[in-house]
Amino acid sequence: MVQQHTPPGVRRDQDGTPVPEVPDLSWMDKTLGWGVKARLEPHGGGMTVDALNVGVYSEVPDHIPYRNRLPRGAYPAPGAGSIGGYYLQDKHEQWADSAGHLYEEAISRRWATATDVPWDTAHGLPDDVELAICQLATELSQHASVETEVISGWLQNLSPGYHEVKLFLSTATYDAARMFEGYRKRAMVNGGGMMLESPGGMNRAIMETYAGWSQTVLGMWFVRNSLDTTILRYLAAYGPTEADRVLAARLIPDRMRVSAYAADHIKFAISKKPELAIGFQVWLNGVEIAQARDLRDPVMTEALAIIFGRGVGGMDAGMATVRKIYQEFVKTYLSRCKQANLDRSKQLTPPFQLLLATGSMTPPQRPQA
Amino acid sequence: MATEAKPEKYITTFQQLMEEGRKNGYRLDWLLPRETFGARIDGSAEAGGLLLQDIDRGPFAQIPDWSDNMTGRPRGALTRPNAARVGNYSIRTKADIWLKNASQLYEEAVQRQWSSAIDIPWETMEELPDEIERAECQLATFLTEVEFVAGDVPGKWISETTPDYYEPRMFLISQIMDEARHMDVFRKRAFANGGGLMSQTTNVALSGGAIDSARDFTEMSARLHISGEGLVLSIFRMGERMSYNDAEKAIYRLAASDESRHVAFGVMHLQYLAQTDPRRKEEIHSYLDEIELGLVAGTGGQNPAQRGTPSNAALAILLGGGSDPKSMMEGEQIALAVRQRQVKEYVQRVKVAGLGERFENGRANASLAAYVSA
Repeated sequence: MVQQHTPPGVRRDQDGTPVPEVPDLSWMDKTLGWGVKARLEPHGGGMTVDALNVGVYSEVPDHIPYRNRLPRGAYPAPGAGSIGGYYLQDKHEQWADSAGHLYEEAISRRWATATDVPWDTAHGLPDDVELAICQLATELSQHASVETEVISGWLQNLSPGYHEVKLFLSTATYDAARMFEGYRKRAMVNGGGMMLESPGGMNRAIMETYAGWSQTVLGMWFVRNSLDTTILRYLAAYGPTEADRVLAARLIPDRMRVSAYAADHIKFAISKKPELAIGFQVWLNGVEIAQARDLRDPVMTEALAIIFGRGVGGMDAGMATVRKIYQEFVKTYLSRCKQANLDRSKQLTPPFQLLLATGSMTPPQRPQA
Repeated sequence: MATEAKPEKYITTFQQLMEEGRKNGYRLDWLLPRETFGARIDGSAEAGGLLLQDIDRGPFAQIPDWSDNMTGRPRGALTRPNAARVGNYSIRTKADIWLKNASQLYEEAVQRQWSSAIDIPWETMEELPDEIERAECQLATFLTEVEFVAGDVPGKWISETTPDYYEPRMFLISQIMDEARHMDVFRKRAFANGGGLMSQTTNVALSGGAIDSARDFTEMSARLHISGEGLVLSIFRMGERMSYNDAEKAIYRLAASDESRHVAFGVMHLQYLAQTDPRRKEEIHSYLDEIELGLVAGTGGQNPAQRGTPSNAALAILLGGGSDPKSMMEGEQIALAVRQRQVKEYVQRVKVAGLGERFENGRANASLAAYVSA
């Protein structure tokens, strides 16, 4: 390093940069509100993110005018400029009142597939049942993988001004990753491995959502997650091994949190802009048709029939359970729509009407004349 | 990577099963065992559970150097000819994102999750002198802001990476989770003791614009993991010296534990790239040139110890114990030691990554030497 001439009294840093004698402390008065204290939740709940919304910091505006990372309530720097991205700047595009609470709930429910599932109980199934589990695991794993891609891709578009949403979606990505690896581990624990990829119609419906985050939420968490959660509920109750039951039971609360966010968000969006409901209904028509097309493919249905029929020989009995699962799926979906003030009961597409009525994508055969 | 099913010894059994099922109207053409079928893995608690790295077997462990996976299927799954090509992944070359220990880092992250609500002893905080509280809140505001960078930018790259390279994707997802918690815990610190949020950083570069702009994953990782997070990690490791209560000590200790994984990811990825694709070394050196300029001249971004910034003044107040000239002088001397430590740790990371020749052949920024030898 070239040594620089240092006039007497001027201190320099290691690389020769002068260090000002009087540091600029003007930042010490740059605050929108001073003397604010958040309270700890009673009964051991600790310091929650919602508890920070106090005093002048309690307002969550309908619009964030900045496209940078200004923390909500911080003193804006005049020259901060735009970073790009963060184009969802309106509250109705992402908000859910429950997001902060759901974030804290997700954090408090820590678990690990590595150590919280009794993997040593996952052995000894008949080969056909094991293979059917592996097929189902492949599809559930892929569903979760797509979910991680989709949520993580949207994070850069959601304004940091609604940090509660961003925090919750971080947990949602993480939870989906845990579902991905949980079912990959399940498929591999007896060597069965990944089998046939999922049909892909719903993957496409979820990923091709330039229309907006709300549309992504509708496809991913109103429709697909209703199906996955229903399957997980049956696996938690009737899964063929203890490991299958525990894994599914552990995942259900994770899936329920995203359902809660989804319903809360769509309800909020419609409350702010009632006209959005029309577009959401149209959007769901397309998603239902994509989901129905995937269910017409027999692979997952047959795998479920083998699992719940305890083998290929019991598939007819298993199909009765599968039909119940599919009917419950549509009922769950309708219930979530209703919670969000998006009544679909009169607008279900014909394939979903059929699924609700029969639990099957195959119309009942007419009696021979 | 698609693979073919090989029924082999099970073929007779499964043909019989399929025939039985088909008689009843089922298709069952998917019901074929893969090559590894029947190879049990011990995932018992006695064996330490079932880790991601334990399940790498057969074709499912074959990580292609180049991925043709355009449908988003899990690695090793069989392909469907009619599946939509939804996976427009820009990262389909292994060397562009791979590292050797991503599974281990992910499992480690899962085991070390913590809660800012209940794992920080918030009740230990007592009223602080006004200038100390304001300095704490300014630093917390800065860290809240930069933690958005470290969460949102990896998110973009996860969605750009083929699922054939799921291990680094999984790690980056754990990083998003960690950074959300950091953003959250520093925001909580600003409100926990009667203060509030203070000033945003004054320009885009300081809030990570350069990291956002990177068009290549390794370029982004060098800026984020090696530089940005490395600098912040050095600060967190000094947490004991600038903490005024057990809550702050816990925050820095837990956050440092997370950050060290993120930095390790960056170092190990650079190391893998340097070993497997040496043609890119010169390009990586050019990124390091920029990073070093940021280190010594303050053009980089995420360094709270950067001269002339509110966060640096806040650090000086916290380290010196007050805002009077004597205390701040003392604090600045300690802050200088922090910057020296940042540089020394940066140099060590680059050496571990296999790019240490720059410190011997004159490529490295000359001013680094002054810090290292100080």
